Amino acid sequence: MRASPALYLHVASLEARKAMSYRADFWINVVVSFFAQLGAVWYLWTAIFRTTGQATIGGYNLPGMLQYYILVILMGKLVRGQEFSAGVSQDIYDGGLSRYLLYPVSYWSFNYAQHLGALLPAAVQLVLFMALLPLMGGGVGDFHPGPVQFLMALAALGVGNLLYYLIQLPLQSVAFWADNVWSLSVLLRFISGLLGGSMLPLDLFPPGARAVLQWLPFRALFDLPVAAILGRLTVAEWALGLAVALGWCALFWLLAKGVWRKGERSYTGVGI
Amino acid sequence: MGRYLRLYLNFLRFSFSRAMEFRLDFFFRVVMDAAFYAVQIVFFSVIYRHTALLGGWSYDQVLIFACGFFLIDALHMTIFANNMWWLPIFVNKGDLDYYLVRPVSSLFFLSLRDFAANSFLNLLLAAALMAWALLRFPGPLDPLRVTLFLALLVNGAFLYYLIHLAFLIPVFWLHSNRGLGETFYTLEKYSEKPDRIFHGWVRRLLVSALPFSLIASFPAALLFEGLRPGLLLHVLGVTALAFAAVRAAWQLALRNYSSASS
Repeated sequence: MRASPALYLHVASLEARKAMSYRADFWINVVVSFFAQLGAVWYLWTAIFRTTGQATIGGYNLPGMLQYYILVILMGKLVRGQEFSAGVSQDIYDGGLSRYLLYPVSYWSFNYAQHLGALLPAAVQLVLFMALLPLMGGGVGDFHPGPVQFLMALAALGVGNLLYYLIQLPLQSVAFWADNVWSLSVLLRFISGLLGGSMLPLDLFPPGARAVLQWLPFRALFDLPVAAILGRLTVAEWALGLAVALGWCALFWLLAKGVWRKGERSYTGVGI
Repeated sequence: MGRYLRLYLNFLRFSFSRAMEFRLDFFFRVVMDAAFYAVQIVFFSVIYRHTALLGGWSYDQVLIFACGFFLIDALHMTIFANNMWWLPIFVNKGDLDYYLVRPVSSLFFLSLRDFAANSFLNLLLAAALMAWALLRFPGPLDPLRVTLFLALLVNGAFLYYLIHLAFLIPVFWLHSNRGLGETFYTLEKYSEKPDRIFHGWVRRLLVSALPFSLIASFPAALLFEGLRPGLLLHVLGVTALAFAAVRAAWQLALRNYSSASS
């Protein structure tokens, strides 16, 4: 028996409503957190451009660099989702997984629908600030993506979100054996932030490192969607990036399946 | 005082025995913190490929500053972080009752009861990185100033805890700390950058009401630029004021606490 798409839509909608239920949290997160993040990089890069006196660094001028960070902050939230509340490890840990084993649905699909629903606050934030972006001064608002760039970015964003979820799955599944796996999620956040282009544009890395980074899974998480919408990629470069990302998706899916199958055998259903 | 010391020694004993029960978790946390240090060092290395100075500091100076922040982070992760993680959960579940009826300060108990034995290893790693950064520094470093720098880093760890707590206390009213929690971790990034890159009202905020720049950057400035009594008094004064403000906020919050599932 297979669950209908309507069920997954309903699950995602419930999760979206849950994510929006704490209004104060939502607005603090959407507005304060965004400007705090943007402020930190604005001061950092203003200081660097002022000190060096260069017009461009790594192919970015100052407004271009700020555009990159604005987009990586907004799109990054859609890629990561509510990573630390990912219910997989919690379901394993407290035995909540048992009820899903009885439902006529795939647990992973159910959980991914929940994960997508929880993206609503980040999606609202993206739409809100993208609409406000053209109003920003100093050349930062000079940003007009065409429909092709928009579609390329949207596809990269979707694949990035799926890839981040699939990288998280085997890490979360370690909860079958370990008491607390949140540190693995934080570890992923650190590494993907640096090697995926969330902390720094990958163009700033030395050429040798860049050549390696384009084959790792992390680039597809942040650099690819942002570079696509900024028009810094040709269609061929974008397609190659997407193909690499989908290859990694398949690999992490297989890995997650293996870990999950092994874990299920040791799952007692009562929590650790 | 002796009673509190005995109590803290018991916290340490329980924490170490608990950490040994979950060996895998112990290892994960050590790796996580080590990755944080590596990521920060690579971040600054990449930045310095494109500039010779950041906020007036060379790469060697920024390395000492960054290692200072690692030490503060390791102290926080070891002594306070677990307790800060649990606090909003206790408030929302009504589990705070158990701690409020103890014959000791509730703030002391809730801030220090869970010592992260696994992060203690990272404290040793952070100390080793600091020794490495100081030893590789090309210029002379006055031992007295180094001692003062290290003492101010301990003060920085205490200040970091106070700011973190200030962002958690509103959970008594808001019932969810997700937004403020994320905002704290975003603002924390300001303490990982040299204070001289900030200017205007943001800088004034970062050295007063939200004193993130006083955590690691001011101690490093005192190390590199010589002892300035005004700067030292500023750091200690803001820490004392922050302590008084957080204590007052805690008392106010407890008066607002309505027990189970508030």
